[in-house]
Amino acid sequence: MGSVFKAIARSGPAGLVLGAILVSLLGIFLLVGFIVFRRWYRARYFRRRNERTVILRARWNDIVSGKVAPEEWCFEPLDAEIVGSILLDNIEVSTAESLPLLLECLRKSGLLDMLIYQARTARSWRQRAALLALGRTRAKEAIPALAAGLDSKSAETRVTVVRALGRTGIPEAAIPILDRIVEGRLDAPERSMKNSIANCCRNNPRILISYLDQTQGPARELLARVLAEVASAELGDELLVLAADALPEVRASAARALGSTNTPYTLPALHSLATDPEWFVRLRAVVALGQIENVDKIGVLLRSLCDANRHVRQRAAWALARMEPQLEQILQDVVATKDNYALQAFISELERSGAIEKIISGLSGSGQHSAPAALREVVEGARKSVEMSGKAMAAAAGH
Amino acid sequence: MRFLTLSNDILFVYYLLANLIYLGLLIVAITRNVRHHHQHGNFRLELIKASPFTPPITLIVPAHNEERSIVSSVGALLELDYPSLEVVVVNDGSSDATVEKLQEAYGLKIARILYIAEIRTAPVRAIYRSPQEPRLLVLDKAAAGCKADAINAGINAATSPYVCVVDADSILEKEALIRIMAGVFADPGRVVAVGGIVRVLNGSRVVDNQIQQVKLPKSSIEIMQVIEYLRAFLVGREGWANFNMLPIISGAFGIFRTDLVKQVGGFRTHAVGEDFDLVVRMHRRLQEEHRPYHINFIAAPTCWTEVPTDWNSLARQRARWHKGLIDALWPNRDMLFRARYGRVGWLVLPYMWLFEFLAPVIELVGYATIILACVLGVLSKTFFLFFLLFGYAFATLISMGSVLLEEMTVRRYGDWREVARLLTYCLFEHFPYRPMTMVWRLKGIWQYMRGDRQWGAMKRVGISADTAG
Repeated sequence: MGSVFKAIARSGPAGLVLGAILVSLLGIFLLVGFIVFRRWYRARYFRRRNERTVILRARWNDIVSGKVAPEEWCFEPLDAEIVGSILLDNIEVSTAESLPLLLECLRKSGLLDMLIYQARTARSWRQRAALLALGRTRAKEAIPALAAGLDSKSAETRVTVVRALGRTGIPEAAIPILDRIVEGRLDAPERSMKNSIANCCRNNPRILISYLDQTQGPARELLARVLAEVASAELGDELLVLAADALPEVRASAARALGSTNTPYTLPALHSLATDPEWFVRLRAVVALGQIENVDKIGVLLRSLCDANRHVRQRAAWALARMEPQLEQILQDVVATKDNYALQAFISELERSGAIEKIISGLSGSGQHSAPAALREVVEGARKSVEMSGKAMAAAAGH
Repeated sequence: MRFLTLSNDILFVYYLLANLIYLGLLIVAITRNVRHHHQHGNFRLELIKASPFTPPITLIVPAHNEERSIVSSVGALLELDYPSLEVVVVNDGSSDATVEKLQEAYGLKIARILYIAEIRTAPVRAIYRSPQEPRLLVLDKAAAGCKADAINAGINAATSPYVCVVDADSILEKEALIRIMAGVFADPGRVVAVGGIVRVLNGSRVVDNQIQQVKLPKSSIEIMQVIEYLRAFLVGREGWANFNMLPIISGAFGIFRTDLVKQVGGFRTHAVGEDFDLVVRMHRRLQEEHRPYHINFIAAPTCWTEVPTDWNSLARQRARWHKGLIDALWPNRDMLFRARYGRVGWLVLPYMWLFEFLAPVIELVGYATIILACVLGVLSKTFFLFFLLFGYAFATLISMGSVLLEEMTVRRYGDWREVARLLTYCLFEHFPYRPMTMVWRLKGIWQYMRGDRQWGAMKRVGISADTAG
């Protein structure tokens, strides 16, 4: 007796179509069967997982402290998976005090060795999953295994490793990335590299300074950008050196970093950067000035309010409009500049912050501190001008 | 007689080819989803949120007579989980109190903001800012009679490197922006646009413009559309995106690189399908300049939208979609089979012409010749019956595949009864829904040929405080 397919083939075009129908029907049954099976399997798996999680959670302290021997759970795949995932979650939010105990559990149970082994030997997505899990362990011994992955031929693996190194949050983990950046042999998305280096160097930004000295061009800009995010007061004079760098991006980053420091040299340095030839360096300096609590900055900001660049003027106005106790005096100083753009920018910011009404009522008040009528007129005129120009600009731009 | 035989053979091959292509796309989509799941299973969204290097996004919300929903829509958008967000609402000459409602809710004040019309639009009458909500910018512009013009005004005002166009009456899930941006972060140098999935809101429980419970709608016309949306997004778009041939990113939810959108001149004003048209022009520009790029699709970021609940609105919508398709394909016909446009010119655009634009015409001719051939006795009745059965079974297989993809990806329909309903409707989708779709699309072709480019009104039930649809 011949096969069904031979019979179909013998029956001509109609037979072929019949065959196609049968295959389609088979496909439908398989699909429905798969959906039903998948639903059933997942429900069963998660039910079992939840049950085991409750049991393991009840004994959690004993598992971490080692009172429950690792042999009791690590040979059971589901239990090992649950303990591993809880451990990694706990490590991610652990404090300096609780971390050593969790790492000890990870080491003694062999989970760390297993992850290192998988990261070195597995392929494709299994390897990438192991690499990411390894990064989450925040263990120093994970770094060599991760660093090896930076030289992988697969772009996906390289990105995963960069991310994983960042997840460790250990300053030493930044070194393999930084070394390769300096040597120009790390091909990974810039954003991932910046994030990882920032995560690792947050508590020790000094690492970046030595690498900055060894780099040029885009790599130097990348490191400077990261430094701007992680810089702290402890960097001291080194930030001043960067503030005088030849690369505008580095100077802008130094300005940004100075915003998070509050030392005697911060204000003079930002003062100098606020007069930089590059507008975006001036902008960063003005933004940084806005973050500093110091009334001495008013003079610099007033000058920036008259800057040729609109963005710089706006940020200066923003920073000045938030200095509430000095607002009346600042307003008088702004009017005294006789710069209409500066006045408009400042009034516009006061409108936005809602402080304008208070100032107007302050100016209108009677007594020896009330402002002269001329000043009130200037302010009212500027308010009208802001409103008119807002409408006019919008209308003109629309045409 | 020979003509009829030939015609029927061509129809058979055409139908087989269309379904085989879709089967191929289904297999690719399943593979891609499995790979994506493995790749991004450990990806933490909170890391993107916490990163100082996450680029800002401008959400553009074109609004025309949206006084009923605009405040809650904007409120929901401002609540989205994204670290650096700007919302630009463009009031497109509304005759109702859209701007007044926003003014009332956010205390808007006229702002002196530099607005450079890099893309030409109808006049902008005023720009407003909110002292309470600095992330909100409202543009009040004269009506131009098209959504594209409003979006272009929003792009002009955008200050972020990426823009996301959202419909005022759609709902974005809280993590949608972060999820869609994950597609950019994978390769920021190459990814110029990413589309997210648009799903059917009808039937789900909505509170404060946020989905509380996802449920299937009750009426069959809406459920058919659920299956259609799943098939179009999870199979079609996922499949094409795998080969960097995504021809469309839905106007209801997609992100684009701002500079590139400006370079191609923004959304084409008065285009019926402005979203499709923009993506094709982006492909054209990038291919012409030999720039490496990727236009991606990600199934996880979700936008929920209301679909028509009555046959008339559905008919108008489908006719309009088809007009939009022709309106984007016709001006770009020179891209067909040209080496410089690569696989876009050789594969996806010919597919769109043959299996999308011309599909209703070929189907109509096919029905006519088959009936004629049957009457004249040229066609074997057994063959004809088998052919119909095959078409039915194959199309059902594809639809069920899209339900499987739903199960494998975001799995929004948690209750097994909902999935069972979806699977059941996959069996009944083919008649009379599909032939009717063919008629509506033919109507779209006819209207386009007559020069009718109107959108046509869609009767909306509206997102009530509690339940949609």
